[in-house]
Amino acid sequence: MRVGFQEELDYLEASLHEEGTLVLRSLRGALNALVQQDEELADEVIAFDDEIDARYLAVEEGVQELLARQTPVAGDLRLVLSMLHVNLHLERIGDYCVTIAKLVKLAPPVAPDRMFVDAFQEMGTRAEEMIRVALDSFAARNLEQAETLVDLDELIDRANRRFVQQVLSFGRDPKLHEWGLRMIVVSRCFERIGDHAVDIGERTAYLVSGEFREFTDASHPDEPEG
Amino acid sequence: MSVTDAPVKIAGDLQRESTPRGAAVFDVQNVGVSYDGNLAVHEVTLPIYEKQVTAIIGPSGCGKSTFIRVFNRMNDLIPNAKVHGKVLYHGADLYGKDVDPVEVRKQIGMVFQKPNPFPKSIYDNVAFGPRVLGWRKELDERVERALRRAALWDEVKDRLKKNALGLSGGQQQRLCIARALATEPDVILMDEPASALDPIATTRIEDLMHELKRDYTILIVTHNMQQAARVADMTAFFSVDIAPEGDRTGILVEYDETSKIFTQPSDQRTEDYVTGRFG
Repeated sequence: MRVGFQEELDYLEASLHEEGTLVLRSLRGALNALVQQDEELADEVIAFDDEIDARYLAVEEGVQELLARQTPVAGDLRLVLSMLHVNLHLERIGDYCVTIAKLVKLAPPVAPDRMFVDAFQEMGTRAEEMIRVALDSFAARNLEQAETLVDLDELIDRANRRFVQQVLSFGRDPKLHEWGLRMIVVSRCFERIGDHAVDIGERTAYLVSGEFREFTDASHPDEPEG
Repeated sequence: MSVTDAPVKIAGDLQRESTPRGAAVFDVQNVGVSYDGNLAVHEVTLPIYEKQVTAIIGPSGCGKSTFIRVFNRMNDLIPNAKVHGKVLYHGADLYGKDVDPVEVRKQIGMVFQKPNPFPKSIYDNVAFGPRVLGWRKELDERVERALRRAALWDEVKDRLKKNALGLSGGQQQRLCIARALATEPDVILMDEPASALDPIATTRIEDLMHELKRDYTILIVTHNMQQAARVADMTAFFSVDIAPEGDRTGILVEYDETSKIFTQPSDQRTEDYVTGRFG
């Protein structure tokens, strides 16, 4: 039994999950800054990304060292490779939170309809849930739970499409137009966070089964039969 | 121009060409080996493919070395050793009554853990096999060819008459490989060929295996799992069954492509061994 190696693996995975917790904090901050139009909080989210980046680098260095010194194989190799991917997905999610925070500061101060606030609440909460499900299923090596991410993602996708439709129905007010354009990007950020959560779920599938596969194939959507 | 018209180097083109799997040189059917009635290796069935490197890995006492000796009838030389089951070599029974074990060992050469050159000149070491077989013609060419194939020629061509024991460990091992090649074998068995060598000499032996598999079928027993991962196309993992009375018997647990064994083994015992959690 390679005790030292197992300890290093466990430590690395724990670091990855801590990074996940930081990312969730960042997302909650970005969402609150958005719905409360709180620029100070937005600044905090932007600054907080350095902590996520530091954790990201530490995990990547840990993976590099494990590969160089321990030459993991079989299940260990799949875990190390999966951590490398999940690490990158988490870091990207952190970046989307920063983008949302920056857009909170850039958007003109208009008082949006309650409908839009609710839409952001819905997308943000769904994105949080997806990150939790992705990280929990990875930790538990639970393929079934990971596969539920596809349905959760569909809900965010729909919310995003609805949001865009609502913005397109705006009238001629240029201020409202600018706000709408910036908020479409925010909506898109939530939608992308959902995609990254699904990608983490796919890594769980690879870790458990050893097979690379996408849960859904966006390049070849189901063609109608007959 | 559409996206699909653009010249694209797809990843598939860049993939390392894997060795196409040829015909089976050996067909091992329910082969077991016993010493004094005690089963050392139990009921192994597997094919060994032509012009591939096949590695046999497993913990100490799992019968790897015993098993590899089945292929050139080396166990015949051990008193009270008995081989059960069937080994077909190019379809013919290797243990058939009319098969001469000496002829078998000409076709199926062997290299051992410790380099064991004869205390003779480099030339005489390589020429030994052909001389025993009565191949007197073009002996110089034969010796040169074997030394070239063993990647040793350039290092020894100016001192062929010098004693082989003056060579370094790695050179001695390549000399032993040249000696095995000189009788124009079909298969080369290697029992821990690099375990007594330093990392650089080990790399040269591994590179040599890569070259030799173009022309020969190679079976290697190794304790070094990473060596199996580096050199072998196919890998067989052996383990040990310990009976309540303490008798130890080697069993074949899993046999598959090396990449499969080291990324996604099918058997938990293989996973535990290759990841270092057992053995």
